[in-house]
Parts: sequence; C-alpha cells; structure tokens
Amino acid sequence: MFKKSMWYSILVIAFVGFVILANGFYQAILVTTQANPQPTSESAPLESTTDLTPSSKNPNTIQMLILGDSVAKGTGDEKSKGFSGYLSEYLKNNTSKEIIADNVGIDGLESTGLLEQLQSRRLEQQLTHTDIVLVSIGGNDIRSILTLNSFDKENEFKVRLDRYLSNLKLTFQELRKSNPNSTIIFLGLYNPYEKVTNLEDSQLLNSWNFNTQQLVETDGKAIFIPTYDLFKYNTGRFIAQDGLHPNSAGYQAISNRISRSLEMIIAGL
Amino acid sequence: MQQPPVLELTNLRKTIKGKDIVKGINLTLYPSQIFGFLGPNGAGKTTTIRMIVGLIKPTEGSVKICGYSVAHEFVKALSNVGCIIESPDMYQYLTGMENLLQFAAMNKAISQQRIKDVIEMVGLQHRVNDKVSTYSLGMRQRLGIAQAIISKPKLLILDEPTNGLDPAGITEFRNLIRKLAYEEGMTVFVSSHILLEIQQMCDIVSIIKQGSVVKTANIQDLLQDNDKIEWQLSDPETAISLLREHWNIQASQLKKNTISANIGPHPLAKLNEFLITEGLALTYCSATGNTLEDLFLDLTVGDEIV
Amino acid sequence: MFSLIENEVIKMISKKRLLFVIAILVALISVFAYGQHHASERIKTQLSQRMGISATTDWHKIADQQLIELKNRLDSPYRDEKDKSALRVRIEQLQYNLDNDINPLEQSAAKFTTKFMEQSIFLFLPLLIIMLASDMVSGESSSGTIKLLLVRNVPRWKVLLSKFLTLIMLEIIVLFFAFVLSEIISGLFFGFGGWNAPVATGFKLVAGKLDTSSVLNVPQWRYTLMVYSLAFFVSFVVGSISFMISVLVRSTAASIGIIMSTLVAGNFISYFLSDWKITRYMFMVNLRLTDYLSGSFQPIEGMTLLFSILVLLGWASASIIISFVYFTKKDILV
Repeated sequence: MFKKSMWYSILVIAFVGFVILANGFYQAILVTTQANPQPTSESAPLESTTDLTPSSKNPNTIQMLILGDSVAKGTGDEKSKGFSGYLSEYLKNNTSKEIIADNVGIDGLESTGLLEQLQSRRLEQQLTHTDIVLVSIGGNDIRSILTLNSFDKENEFKVRLDRYLSNLKLTFQELRKSNPNSTIIFLGLYNPYEKVTNLEDSQLLNSWNFNTQQLVETDGKAIFIPTYDLFKYNTGRFIAQDGLHPNSAGYQAISNRISRSLEMIIAGL
Repeated sequence: MQQPPVLELTNLRKTIKGKDIVKGINLTLYPSQIFGFLGPNGAGKTTTIRMIVGLIKPTEGSVKICGYSVAHEFVKALSNVGCIIESPDMYQYLTGMENLLQFAAMNKAISQQRIKDVIEMVGLQHRVNDKVSTYSLGMRQRLGIAQAIISKPKLLILDEPTNGLDPAGITEFRNLIRKLAYEEGMTVFVSSHILLEIQQMCDIVSIIKQGSVVKTANIQDLLQDNDKIEWQLSDPETAISLLREHWNIQASQLKKNTISANIGPHPLAKLNEFLITEGLALTYCSATGNTLEDLFLDLTVGDEIV
Repeated sequence: MFSLIENEVIKMISKKRLLFVIAILVALISVFAYGQHHASERIKTQLSQRMGISATTDWHKIADQQLIELKNRLDSPYRDEKDKSALRVRIEQLQYNLDNDINPLEQSAAKFTTKFMEQSIFLFLPLLIIMLASDMVSGESSSGTIKLLLVRNVPRWKVLLSKFLTLIMLEIIVLFFAFVLSEIISGLFFGFGGWNAPVATGFKLVAGKLDTSSVLNVPQWRYTLMVYSLAFFVSFVVGSISFMISVLVRSTAASIGIIMSTLVAGNFISYFLSDWKITRYMFMVNLRLTDYLSGSFQPIEGMTLLFSILVLLGWASASIIISFVYFTKKDILV
C-alpha cells in the first residue's frame, strides 16, 4: 500500500514536473536565441542624473575627453560629478568658457585595455574633435602587485612597469595619430592604502609615478598632474567608502589642481 | 484428439555461431496432454523452449501456439503460454505477492481472486508476503509455477521444474500438474534430464539428443514395448529354454536364481501361470521398469563416443 | 502500458536505488551548503580587512555609488547599444538589491539551489542518472528476470518503452529532490527566499565573442527553472545513452563503468583537445548547457545552446533507436 501511494506521488510529481520543465526548456532556448529582448518592464525608466548638453561646436566651448580607469570615470564620487562636473563648475565660475566632457572611463581598466580601446578606433570621432584629453590609467596595473610577497613583488613590479610603459608609449602614439594638437592631461597615482603601506611599497609607487612622468614629458603637449602628495595625509578626507577611489572631496581636490594648470591653456583655446 | 493442436513445431532449427544447436524439430501437442521433453544436459532442450516462447528467434522453421505464429502474432500466441525457463528467477527484492502482482499487472484478465487461488494451489499462502530473497529453492520453484499458471494458459512450459524440490514436494508437484492438465485442460510441456520424473508424470515423451528428436512415443507404449521382467525361480536353465520354446522369449540369467526377459506384448499373468504349471518354483517376480531407462541410455549415450 | 510503468516504478522503489540516490543528494547538498556558508563568511572578513569596511553593513553606500555611476555611463551618448544593455541589467540588479535590502554578497537558498545544479549538470547529475539508468535493463538480464518479462503477452518494444518512460520519470524525480533538498538544506543556512531577485541571462556568441547586447534580467525563479530544465534535458540525454549501454551489456557493473569512464574522459577531452573540431560533436563536452544561460562559457566559434542541444538530441535519439532495434531483435540467452 505504501509503495502504491509512492507510485502515485511519483506519477504526479513526474507529470507536473515534466510540464514545468518542458516549459522551462522552451524558455531557455528562447532566451539564448532571441534577437533583441525588450528590457523587462520591472526596470524603472532610467532618469538621467547629469545633464549633458548637446555637443555642438562653439567657440566658447571646450571639448574634453576623459579616458582611462575608474578614477577617470569618477567612481567613488557620492555626488557623481567626477572630473567633468568639477572642471566645468570651475570654468563656469572663473572663465567665459564652457566645457563639454565625454567620459569613457571603464572600471578596472588596465593600460593594455586602454591601448586596445584606442586601437579599436571606436573613439576616433571624439578624439579628433577634442581639445583636451584627460587620462587616468595605471592604478589597476600596479594594484594587484601589492598583495604579493616581497620577493615576487620586486620581479613582478619590473615586468608590470615595463609592460605598462610600453603600452603607455603606444597609447600616446595612438592619441597623437588621431589628434596631434590636443592637450593631454595625465593623472599620477595616489596611494589609497597610505595607512597600511610600508616603505617598500611607497618606493615602488613613486618609482612608477616617476617613470610615468618622464614618459609623459616626452610628448610636447602633455602635462603630468601628481596626486600622490595630495592624498598622502588626506586619505581619511579624500578616499571614498570603498577604500580605494577618491570621494567627492578627493575629485574636487584633483580637479582644482588640473584647473590651475589648465587656466592659461584654456584661455588660449 | 480432434481438437486443434495447442503447440506445433515445424522443422525448428537454431544455429548459434555456426553450431547447430537444434536440428529440425517437429512436434504437435493437443489439449490436456502432459508432454515430457527428455534429454541429457546440452541436448538443446532449453534452446527449443526459448524458441517456443520467443526469447530466441529460430534460424529456420516455425512455432505455432494455439494456431498463432510466435514470430508474427507474438502477443496472441504468448497469451496462451505460461512458463518457467531454466530457473525460476524472480525479483529477489520483492515479496512473493509483489512478484505475482507484477505479472498479473501485465495481463488485464487476472483478478485478485485468481492470485489468491494460485497461491493456495502452490501452497505458498504462509510465506507470500516475505521477500523472495529469503525463500528456499523449493519455494522459489513454487512461486515460479504460480506465476506461470496465473494467467490460466493453455500451454504450460516447465523447464526442469523439480530442481530443488524435496521428494514430498515432487509428489505434490506431480499431482498439481496432473490436476492442471486433466481438470483445467492445460497442455503441459515438461523438460527434464531425469528419466523417472518424466516416466511418472507424462503421457507422451520425446527424447532429444544433440539437437534432434530421436524418439517420440506414448509413454505407456514405450513401457509395454519393452516390459522387462525378473523372475527368481528354482531352475533358471529350464525356464530359459521353456520360455524360448513356448513363447519365443529370449531370457537370460542374471544371478544364480534369477532370469530376466523382455516379455513384449505377452501378458505377465499368463507367463507366470505357465511357469508354475511347468513345475518351476517361482519365488519372486518383478517388473523392473528400467526399460525406458535402457532406451534412454541407448538412444542418448549410445553413440556419443562415435 | 500504464501498469507496465507502474511495475517498473515499484521495482525501482523496492530496489532502494532511488533511495540511495536521494541519500547521496542529501549528503552532498549538506556538505556544499556548509562549504558555501563557510566561504561567504570568509569573503566577508577578507573584504572588511582589505577595505577597512564591513561588507555586511556598508554595502548600501557602495551599491548606491555604483548605481549612480552606472546610470551616468548609460547616459553617455557615445556608448554603443551593446554595452548599454549590459549596463541596464547591472543597474536593475543593483536597484533591486537596494530596494529589497538584499546584500549582493549574501547567499540565498535560491542562489544556492541554482548554483548547485549549474555545478552538477556536467558530472554529478549524470552520475546519479547513470546509477538509475544503467540498471534498468542489464539488472534484469543479470538476474534472469528479463525472461519473465519477455514471455508475457506484451511485445518487447512495449516492455522497453515502459522502462524508458520510467527512467524519464525518475529523472524528473531526481531533479525534484535535488531542487527540494537544496532549497531546504541551504535555506537553513542562508534563509529561504531570494526567488524574485533579478539574474542576468541572454548572453550570445557573435563572431566568437560574447555578445551582451541581448542581455536581460529574469527573476531568479525563472532562471532556476531554466537551469533545471536544461538539467532535465541533460539527464534525458545521459539517461538515454546509459539506457542503451544497459541494453547492450548484460552486467550492471560493466554498463556503469562504460558510461562513467566515457563521461570522465569527456572532461579530459574538452580540456586537452579543445582545438580539435570533432570533439564538439561528443556528448560529454556539450553537457554544460547552463553555461550558455549564465554567459560563463568559453567562447568557441560555432558552439551555442542550440548547437549543443542539437548534438545532444542526436546522441539521445541514436541511443534510443539502437536500444529499441537491438532489444527487439536480440536472442535472450541468459
């Protein structure tokens, strides 16, 4: 009798299960082969949080392209303005010029990725029309080294630095190929882990920044903006909740520096 | 014998890997017959039975059960068959009852009452709810018979059915078979390598050797044909010569006071009367019944060496 | 037919093989759930050490930030459509987590239940199915009971079909238990729920690269359903193949051995011979169907969900045909 009732439950489960699974199977095929599914209706209509003025060429506007990693993107800024926001605020207040920025920063981008991005020529149009290029790259190249032990660290650092520098060299070539006249602003690296970093790590980071700066200087119209000094005793103030990216104040501090350096160049545009 | 045949084998042949296992068997069985299929191990009995029930496809020839060809009308043909082949393999992990229910479920016509009846018929009512793995060989054999007869088949095929049965069980089994054949009208096909079993149970016997049937006959005829009698008497020499002269019987002396002879169609009573009136002191007389055995041995072992 | 299937199911129940399979499921799921629990605890402590934040409490702020940035990126007019749909999907997920106060770092029973099947689909699940399927015919051959089945007034194909349908039923039962058990056991560790959380799916392969343009979010329960459906299909295929071997081989041990070694060899093949084009037509390398849903497959030109399903279907139907042809023709000598 027990077996009989078990047989009936198995029969029912199997039958219902089959219908459900067949349906699921159909859905699975559909979802992977479908051409362009409509975004599900549950997603609230996305409202733009920043105003982007249409990009029209106008003598009083400055075109700016922000390239590189999460710092370029503005990750960590709780006001979500990023460089484009603070820089245009500054210009609006201090000059008659208006800045129109395109931000194509990508979280976690390494120098190799940036080079690929440029080589892919997807940014060609933006690049040729831009007046200023703001680049932040390298943080992700060096970051993972810090967790290695000291012996590996030395060797790995050299390998990474070499690769990074050669990537950077090519990156500059690509940039200049598309636009020989723009001003390139290159951000140095800061140390978000200042409180827990030992001397050795600091030396590595400085060596990285130094090499970068030398390479940037070989380009005639590029400027290296250091950030290391800015953050050294300000990590508490300038680093965001995630412990890695600058917060709003941090972005503003860097932006201020950039603005000062740019004042004369912008006036000339 | 006017009824249509239950089983018809026509020139049944089977070749496995180039070896002729069964070499053209012809056989016709009618209702209510108990048929003995006698042969030594490896003679092709089981192969023949497997062909009858469709487990093996014949290389040549045909099997018809109640007029239906096993090859072409399998379902109709097999509706009329119940069988045990080689050993009564049942599902060890099920109880006897569950085993029977399994087979009953495969045939709509079987009622709960029939299952009960069958269990009683084979005498398993006390152990039917135990797992088969706890059964003795004899009990498994009974269960095997139960599953074979559960669908009231017209043809019951039993391959070596008394294996593992104790003497009491064999007698009981013999009675059951008789009952099934004579009361329920089943045709029973029993295969065995044990002569006595066949002799005691069957009406008709076929002796099979190396894949061919060497002799088919009514068992009574076989026994009478070759009735062998032993006499213990006072003067064996005189008796031998008297039997030769008056009855044309070839007798031979076995022991000091014992002679034996095939008496053929002559009635034993007349012979005994004759011997006594001739003045011989007859102390003991018996029909040894070993004639079929002689025949069996003759027919099967005889030229095996050749 | 119906009573034949009932017979087979009763036999399966009595044989305790199904019980054994379920016992294995309980044991494994418990171990995995505990392991997952342990791992997620460790990740949390690691995170808090490295970033100086507590992942359990501060995740809202991080998520908020991420969300704003993603929205910014989405609004950029220069972003191409491809990236946008991936962004939208990510935004929806974050928004859902925020709205429903679900820490994305936390496990849920729903996630575990899905993950368990995704990880089982190419080896563990097939092994369970093999244990059931390999015995279906060869078990009867080795015990001699096959004779009893085939001398009834039921044609051979019906006997085999009833066994095959029973196998399909048991496959569903195994999946049912895998689902229910992992839901219950992992629910004890991670809490029940999480069935409405959005999960990204709909990845495609275009010109050898992962194409995210058609990515969309589906609720977890729908995703889980799809995972289990694909698992059912895999069970069906593996079941059919081992069923065939069970028909061809007389001993259960041999038939389990054959199909198991094939399966394990398949994992080697996909690892060592991935360049060799013919390997993609083997059934073993096509078992990871759920990878197509989650987008975690290695992009190999020409391999899509549909391709894999067709290859598997080819194997299954060939197995079924061979099983039936052989079974209805063969001489039973046991």
